[in-house]
Amino acid sequence: MKKFLNKPENFVNEMIEGIIAAHPNKLKYVNDDLRCLVNAKGKEGKVGLATGGGSGHLPLFLGYVGDGMLDGCSVGGVFQSPSADQMLEVTKEIDKGAGVLYIYGNYGGDIMNFDMAAEMADMEDIKVLQVVAGEDVASSKKGEEHKRRGVAGIFFVFKIAGACADDMASLEDVKRVADKVCANVRTMGVALSPCIVPEVGKPSFTIAEGQMEIGMGIHGEPGIEKGPLKPADEVVETMLNAILEDLPYKKGDEVAVLMNGLGATPKEELYVMYRKVSLMLENKGISVFHVYAGEYATSMEMAGASISLLKLDDELKNYLAKPANSPFFEQVQL
Amino acid sequence: MENLSLDNIKGFLTKMNGVAAANKDYLIDLDSRMGDGDLGLTMAAVFSAMDEFASTYSEDDIGGMLMKGGMAMAKAAPSTMGTLMATGFMRGGKAVKGSTSLGISDVAAFWTAFVEGIIDRGKAKAGEKTIIDALLPAAEAWQEGASDGADMVSAGVLAAKAAAEGLEKTMDMVAQHGRAAYYQEKSRELQDPGATIGSILISSFSEYLSEIDG
Repeated sequence: MKKFLNKPENFVNEMIEGIIAAHPNKLKYVNDDLRCLVNAKGKEGKVGLATGGGSGHLPLFLGYVGDGMLDGCSVGGVFQSPSADQMLEVTKEIDKGAGVLYIYGNYGGDIMNFDMAAEMADMEDIKVLQVVAGEDVASSKKGEEHKRRGVAGIFFVFKIAGACADDMASLEDVKRVADKVCANVRTMGVALSPCIVPEVGKPSFTIAEGQMEIGMGIHGEPGIEKGPLKPADEVVETMLNAILEDLPYKKGDEVAVLMNGLGATPKEELYVMYRKVSLMLENKGISVFHVYAGEYATSMEMAGASISLLKLDDELKNYLAKPANSPFFEQVQL
Repeated sequence: MENLSLDNIKGFLTKMNGVAAANKDYLIDLDSRMGDGDLGLTMAAVFSAMDEFASTYSEDDIGGMLMKGGMAMAKAAPSTMGTLMATGFMRGGKAVKGSTSLGISDVAAFWTAFVEGIIDRGKAKAGEKTIIDALLPAAEAWQEGASDGADMVSAGVLAAKAAAEGLEKTMDMVAQHGRAAYYQEKSRELQDPGATIGSILISSFSEYLSEIDG
């Protein structure tokens, strides 16, 4: 293992200290707990948006706390859920009278703790609704979408729900829009090398030299196709076809695309892949409203990429286009 | 004995704090065979937090005390079993909210909501080698006792027996949840640590009822 560390057990807290030191006007923590992060400036009367999840995925999750995006994030250890109590503390801080919406990925530990936090918030008379994102096509078959893991596509849920809440929409309305994003986003990933949890010190799974694993999850969950690494165009074809087959797409549809690097894959390669995505979409008569390319949801130093497609309608497009400003994501009006 | 007072419930929670502390090493050992070994520490922490909360509770609502005590538990130990135990007390407390004393039907409602809360939170069901396998038969025994108009102490004895039998049955189950699930068939002959703490909880309550009766 070659990593920039002091002590592995301090990895998460020292990362957060660094982030706060770099963005003191944007982020702060509450309840004397570094792992309870909130936007430094709250907006009265706005629906609060909270997420949370394990560390090791930056910019996911805390990197999207900012204007026009999320209001708070509870931060767990590497690949571990934060506690219900940390979620509750964030909830209390970001509730500005209009209720709080939880948006998080479909993982057992996170679900249990967010459910618990919602119940505790209810006892403190804070209204909480929840949206669980799960869009990894490889993680469960069609018809069992509720079992799918949440991966990079959750970025679109944060962005759009964030803009909707910023527009001062009601809690129910923000949830409706967030649910609509979840229903229309699909992701497919491919991994080329494993990742190392600092406190473990060695990879917890292996991908042999010259091999790839299509559909591998962002914690190394098994994928659907293991084999020799193929040319980029063929890899993209397999991935994008799986995405397009999963939703009804027709000529004239409009999408936003997220080309996401998993940690060790350079942007150059993401654009080599996007070249093929663009050709395939053009062939099918699907137009592209906007492309995001870079690291949006990583898995430590894993090499690999994911492709997410969000099918747009006017409402989603309007919110996606709005400006946003967080430590890890900035966008001007599109 | 017809009814349990607020002080009785506080007394039980103090007893349970001692029981959890006394069983700490036993639970650590049991949990280390399939889990990460922190169950003994978790249980000592949550019951200590509950006892501390209850001992300073100055209102007269038993349900409210148990609900808020459950929240104190959740803060004390944010692990899976800590959260499940906290959920049990929050839901059980909610079921008897506003009560200043508990009759047998209230006790039955408490334990029923307790286990239902755990089922709900843990997304598990009976037969999957969890705490539910000890708590569910006990809650059913309390319900039977309540509908038969049984005496509180004898209903408690039957509930403790049902929980112990439920625990015994986990030794022929394959774990479906948590780290233990990775062991599959190998998990079969091992006693489930969650069901063990469930049985300890129910039997301690029963013992406490006998201690304060007469």
